[in-house]
Amino acid sequence: MGTTTEPMAEPAAPAPAKQPPEPPSTASQRRAQRGSAAGLFANLALVLYFAFSLLPVLFIVALSLKNNAQQTTTYLWFTPTLENYQTVLGLGEGGSSYVRFFLASLATSTGAVLVSLLIGIPAAYAAARYKFRGSEDLMFTLLSFRFAPELVVIIPLGVIYQQIGLYDTIFGMIWVLQLVTMPLVVWILRSFFQDLPAELEEAALLDGYTRRQAFLKIVLPLVRPGIAAVCLLAFIFAWNNFIFPFTLTSGDAQTVTVSSLAFLGGNQVRFNLVAAGAVMAVLPPLVLALCIQRYLVRGLSFGAVKG
Amino acid sequence: MTAIDVRSLRKKFGKLVALDDVSFTVDDGEFFCLLGPSGAGKTTTLKSIAGLVQPDSGSVSLGGQDASDIEPNHRNLAMCFESYALYPQHNVFDNIASPLRSPNLRLPDGEVRERVGRTADMLGVGHLLDRGVDQLSNGQRQRVALGRVLVRPAHAYLLDEPLSHLDAKLRTSMRAELKRIAHGDLMTTTVYVTHDYVEALSLADRIGVVKDGRILQVGTPQQVWDTPETAFVAQAFGKPRISFVSGGLVNDNGVTRFISSDGAITVPVSGVDAEAGETVQLGIRPRDLTLHTGAGEQQAGTERLDGVVYVLEHLGRQTEVTLRIGESLVSVVASRRDAEGLGVDDKVSLLLDPARVHVFGDGDDGRRLSR
Repeated sequence: MGTTTEPMAEPAAPAPAKQPPEPPSTASQRRAQRGSAAGLFANLALVLYFAFSLLPVLFIVALSLKNNAQQTTTYLWFTPTLENYQTVLGLGEGGSSYVRFFLASLATSTGAVLVSLLIGIPAAYAAARYKFRGSEDLMFTLLSFRFAPELVVIIPLGVIYQQIGLYDTIFGMIWVLQLVTMPLVVWILRSFFQDLPAELEEAALLDGYTRRQAFLKIVLPLVRPGIAAVCLLAFIFAWNNFIFPFTLTSGDAQTVTVSSLAFLGGNQVRFNLVAAGAVMAVLPPLVLALCIQRYLVRGLSFGAVKG
Repeated sequence: MTAIDVRSLRKKFGKLVALDDVSFTVDDGEFFCLLGPSGAGKTTTLKSIAGLVQPDSGSVSLGGQDASDIEPNHRNLAMCFESYALYPQHNVFDNIASPLRSPNLRLPDGEVRERVGRTADMLGVGHLLDRGVDQLSNGQRQRVALGRVLVRPAHAYLLDEPLSHLDAKLRTSMRAELKRIAHGDLMTTTVYVTHDYVEALSLADRIGVVKDGRILQVGTPQQVWDTPETAFVAQAFGKPRISFVSGGLVNDNGVTRFISSDGAITVPVSGVDAEAGETVQLGIRPRDLTLHTGAGEQQAGTERLDGVVYVLEHLGRQTEVTLRIGESLVSVVASRRDAEGLGVDDKVSLLLDPARVHVFGDGDDGRRLSR
């Protein structure tokens, strides 16, 4: 909602400021004043909404800095402490497996994204360029992996994983998370490939490049923004996945999403530790988003074709 | 430098028939134009030659060798796309240099620079080499696309409307330039697709007129102009367009005469492959008529048609006059002096040399009946 109202409010607000002060009687002036009032109101509404939507984030950060006694209070006045982070990272007494789970999360999510890119990019390209009997059905089947609830497949998957020895392995997790990310990669990148005129590749062919060279030299660089976007999305989906690691791992390959819950069990409930774990778990997707931000800008393909 | 032989190409896109038995040959070093309206199948034909479109049936031979199994990148053809198809991530230099750096040629850097520079200068884009493609106007893009073709030696050039987006002045000079290149020392076989009949007439050694995926006529510019095989071909050349009058043939004491359906126009026609009584149409090119304003003697052997002025268009030195004769409209190009003082609804006469009319069967696809 915030993103749709913002562009409308933006031009309204600064416009009156640029106009030199005149007797406030002309029609345009009245309109500008009304516009500025509306703009101010819209901005105010946006700020309120912004605060509202950020409140949970603020709350969890605050919670992660509270001590055991204050962890169930809701007000924001407290003595901040980094003790929770130390406990979660295992720096204090008792130790913790958080770092190991964190690394397992990184390995499985990165692995899933890499596998989906490696297979998904050629698949998306083929789906965009070559129409064959049943190609649309194939794409739809792939999409159905996304809209079928994961719970549907979780029991058979659990049984099969136990039997073939993939239970609680990094490889097994990559394999199953790839089910989540692959359809995303193929569907999003397909539309990027479709937006590129086929004549670009045809021109490369006639210039004397092979099909593979035409793809690697001409097409692939042009969909880089798409790959960046889909990388981030796929990583977030894989990283945040809960149900698969919850049911298919027990220790070695367990991810942060599942292991953070461990702080809720035992003889005392430690919301502050869960919060600290969650705040740290936000970092990898955030860092990735910041790194590839500049590639997310689309529009490289403008100018390829007339019009 | 290769002869191209296109044999009975057929291609359907879904239900749409793009090519319907297209056959023609382009001789080694010949400049061949495909002329037709949009959607006629010109581009599909070109892409079939390039190997980018797989025809449903039929074949393309390059230099006498069947090309069906040759990949586009091994055909050594250079093509200029109507959509330009420039690589947006490269600047102008790299776009033009692309074929020279491909595995087929792999020219050394120095030669690449030399060739690209020469081609770009010839096309008037030499000062734009460092620009990105998105910083160019459409006319400049089109010239860069043409540069990517002309920069390298190829068996044949396939040009798809390469001048369509240039402004009128530039188009004329580029046309001359293309003609110089095509008929110069290289003599590269060229297939040139256009919808502009002036380009076709001025550039081509031979012209193929295409409509609805069919080749209607192949011939030299002289042939397609003088003896168009269908009414459509006749209409494709010339501005103002050839005027058509529908009517029938009657036998008048051994002389075949054309009489328009309303009876207002009668012209003796000779050497017509049709029986009296057949419905035909008479084609008269506007420049084969002269305006007869009453003064002066009627030349011998000419027919006189009387009508009234319907539309007057003053175009500099010449005036296009459209006359209504009975129910038919006939155009004539007159010198400004002759048309001076004419007004709409004025009565005027036209003089027509009966030897220069064309008789066609009925309708757009009507076959030529004049011998």
